[in-house]
Amino acid sequence: MSFGRKFRRLVGLPTRAGQAIDRDLDDEVSFHIEMRVQDLVRAGTTEADARRQALAEFGDARRLKESLGRLDRSAQRRHRLTRWFADGTYDVRFALRQIVRSPLFAAISIFTVAIGIGATTAIMSAVRGIVLQPLPFESPDRLLRVYWRHERLGATSLSVADFADLRAQSVAFSGLAAWYESTANLSGSGEPERLASARVTDNFFDVLGVRPASGRTFAAGDDRFGQPGRAVISEEFWYRRFGGDRQIVGKTMRLDGNPVEVIGIVSGARAFPPDVDLWMPTQFEPDEFTDAQRGARWLRVLGRLKPDVSPRQANDDVARVAQLIATRDPRHNTGYSAFARDFQESIIGDFRRPLFVLLGAVGLVMLVVCANVAGLMVARTAARETEIAVRAAIGAGRGRIVRQLVTEALVLALAGGALGFALGVIGTSLLVRFAPPDIPRLGDVGIDGVVFAFSFALAVLTGVAFGLAPALQASRHDVRSRLQAESRGAAGRFGSVRIRRALVVSELAVAIVLLVCAGLLLRSFAKLQSVDPGFRTSGLTAFTVTLPLTRYARLPDQRQFLQRAMEGLGAIPGVEHVAASFGLPLTQTRFQLTFTIDGKDGDPTNEPRGQVRVASPAYFDAMGIPLLEGRTFTAQDHWDSPPVIVISQELARRYFPNGDAIGRRLETGWRREGHTLGGDIVGIVGDVKHFGLATDAPPAYYAAADQWPTDEMTFVVRSGGKTGATIASLRSVIQGIDRELPIFDATTGESLVAASLAHPRFYLMIIAAFATAALLLSAIGVYGIIAYTVRQRTREIGVRMALGASASQIVRMIVGEGLMLAIIGSTLGVMVALALAGQITELLFGVSGRDWVTLVSVSVVLLTAAVVACVVPARSAARLGPQDALRSE
Amino acid sequence: MADRKDDSLSLLQGTLDLLILQALAWGQMHGYGISRIIRERTNEVLLVEDAALYQALHRLERKGSIEAEWGVSENNRRAKYYVLTPAGRRVLRREADNWRRYARAISALLDPA
Repeated sequence: MSFGRKFRRLVGLPTRAGQAIDRDLDDEVSFHIEMRVQDLVRAGTTEADARRQALAEFGDARRLKESLGRLDRSAQRRHRLTRWFADGTYDVRFALRQIVRSPLFAAISIFTVAIGIGATTAIMSAVRGIVLQPLPFESPDRLLRVYWRHERLGATSLSVADFADLRAQSVAFSGLAAWYESTANLSGSGEPERLASARVTDNFFDVLGVRPASGRTFAAGDDRFGQPGRAVISEEFWYRRFGGDRQIVGKTMRLDGNPVEVIGIVSGARAFPPDVDLWMPTQFEPDEFTDAQRGARWLRVLGRLKPDVSPRQANDDVARVAQLIATRDPRHNTGYSAFARDFQESIIGDFRRPLFVLLGAVGLVMLVVCANVAGLMVARTAARETEIAVRAAIGAGRGRIVRQLVTEALVLALAGGALGFALGVIGTSLLVRFAPPDIPRLGDVGIDGVVFAFSFALAVLTGVAFGLAPALQASRHDVRSRLQAESRGAAGRFGSVRIRRALVVSELAVAIVLLVCAGLLLRSFAKLQSVDPGFRTSGLTAFTVTLPLTRYARLPDQRQFLQRAMEGLGAIPGVEHVAASFGLPLTQTRFQLTFTIDGKDGDPTNEPRGQVRVASPAYFDAMGIPLLEGRTFTAQDHWDSPPVIVISQELARRYFPNGDAIGRRLETGWRREGHTLGGDIVGIVGDVKHFGLATDAPPAYYAAADQWPTDEMTFVVRSGGKTGATIASLRSVIQGIDRELPIFDATTGESLVAASLAHPRFYLMIIAAFATAALLLSAIGVYGIIAYTVRQRTREIGVRMALGASASQIVRMIVGEGLMLAIIGSTLGVMVALALAGQITELLFGVSGRDWVTLVSVSVVLLTAAVVACVVPARSAARLGPQDALRSE
Repeated sequence: MADRKDDSLSLLQGTLDLLILQALAWGQMHGYGISRIIRERTNEVLLVEDAALYQALHRLERKGSIEAEWGVSENNRRAKYYVLTPAGRRVLRREADNWRRYARAISALLDPA
């Protein structure tokens, strides 16, 4: 390549357009003709003859022009393109050289970008997997969940009778299916195991549009009462229990003591509800369809829209049917309406908000990242102003210079993006691993092409964003003034300092917003942790057993098991209390029944209601639930004695406001073997947070375990001191009584509380990580700008010291400058945080989104960080002597 | 007639390229200078139509054998100067060798020693 061309490439002289080519050719031809005429005239020809001869010798000039013009234009186009790429590779090589020349700058930039892109990639993969990606069913947008809605209690499930009526009356759906989740004890060969199961109507898989990976799903009529036991199993369970045995379809397993035939296998991705081991047909008993059972609402209902029906029409349709039922059976359905909701929406509903808060937070981190790298770029560009000015002076266009600088930014951003993507992959797997397991669709979270494309686009965008601003700034400068400034040795770079200050201030502001988020979540978490759950957690161990009705169908059998288990568990050394119960606090057990007081029917739309719990005499002592009034259960409250009830304080407050609960009669409509759930109220105990620490304790009433045994029982064991019951010792006691009984949900009091805090802890951890990253990055930003101004003001500082300023005055001056940035940044940030407070309220407990303690303390944290960031440059400034300062010029 | 003309053109084309490259081997030159050199050095035996010369110049430029830059001529006119690129120099060496072997073969056949 000739010097000329290299030069043109470096400074980027504009390429010539087609018109120019024509003119060039004209010039060349006419020059030729003139020269020939001159030579001929000099040799003695007349001018007219010479011109004629020259033209004749030349040949067809017009045709030449046409053919050359055509060729040249296409060549020019090709040339422009190849040159664009050639310039591109040149720019990239140049950028790489620049990066190698300042490795620290490059490393900081790349690492900063990587943090931002990594975090964004991880959160984006979660948002995509959970919210954006459609469910893995056939046309998932045509699926709707149907809910009943009570005017005060909100959305509920449906009863069997309601579902049957809905199926008969509605016209909007091509299919309506119902399911409920249940459990089953698997016995036979191997360790007994409790399985998670779903009982579904026969059309369940057809409505979802799920075909089995092997075998078949349910056929019409499989869900009728009295049909033989059949089960579709999940792929995961098939591998876990049967080692992927292909011959399993058609075989029989023992569930709750009954033979059940395996008819098919459904692949993991399409399993719904997720995490169930098997599906069995509902097989409702005939009396479950009667009006008398209409109040028992526990069926979940899913419908597939007919092709020409809109979700809105379906919503009206179910509302119409609910109205119809309420008119026909006012005793059970007064106050109930119905609505339909998008299926995916129904699954992710509650998790949308936290996810978008996380997405917003990671977006803020990304902003800080961009601001930080932009600040670094501005600084670098400022340092290279002379180089740029020289290039401009020798003819580089503004576009050419901008392009070079943006290329450098892009190279950095893509390097950071690649590293960030790797971090994002790791982050995603960490996210999935540490996410609370009840977040829906965690299995769908992963890196795919879309997430990759997103990260890549983000990296490019970042590069352009932080490359463009400083590049425009640098290229705008008037060449001459720049070079003159350089020759004077003065630093005329106030423009770039102003931009960098603005960037640092915005970084600090964004960091404050994130810190406020993290601070609010932290305060809210601390508040949650200090909430009294209503029972004593330490020393508590609990586990659950489900008695299969085939062998424990009669209540005396269940009572007998209960007594033997309590004796066995009480004999374990170190155990102080043993109790049996149904419905342990904080386990999301929701079992609510309405009741009458002293046999009087109340207002049908506002019947008294409360959570039903069952407890053996030692339960309240074992759990540490205080007795407030009357007595708890004793050994005398047995099957044959008059039934008694203990109520919670909240129930007493709500339904016995005059404090006259003791001695009144509370009765439900639930009858078994001649007994009714209910009895005389004998005591009032303290409230317990049944549904979580953030939720108010619901009204609850307790039946005596020996008067109302249940087939699912949770044993509570309290041990004193260091020695205590181990899970293994508990299991051996239970299996000593019945070898086929698995124990499950074994937990301690502490882990009960910890599990109920899993969500707030998870969000807190992520936001805190983001806030820390933002704080660090903005501190680096502050450090960068302060260190830079100290360098610039070396001379001024020297003069000040020569005039008698002390080192501490200099330190104060420099730190003061950083502090000023931090104060402006945090003021702005606090204002933004206040404006955004509403977005996070939903995730908070006991703390307002505008909590001033949080606002003040995070501002202090930020100001401290800013001061710390100023210390090093301030001290180096203070160490300067006047002579250093003057010599530096 | 047309066939014969096409043959001579293609023959001429290869030869013309060689002549141009050789002319430029002595230094940078504008189109007219090249045409004059060819005319003088070949004792006006080879008559080259100037239009064909310029066509060849542009073709060689696109092939990268020569480069062009605008400059000012002896008589202060804007003129386009051509210069041999390293690639062009290689082409010249190769083509000149080819041409000499071709010429030797032909003359050996026509004038046996």
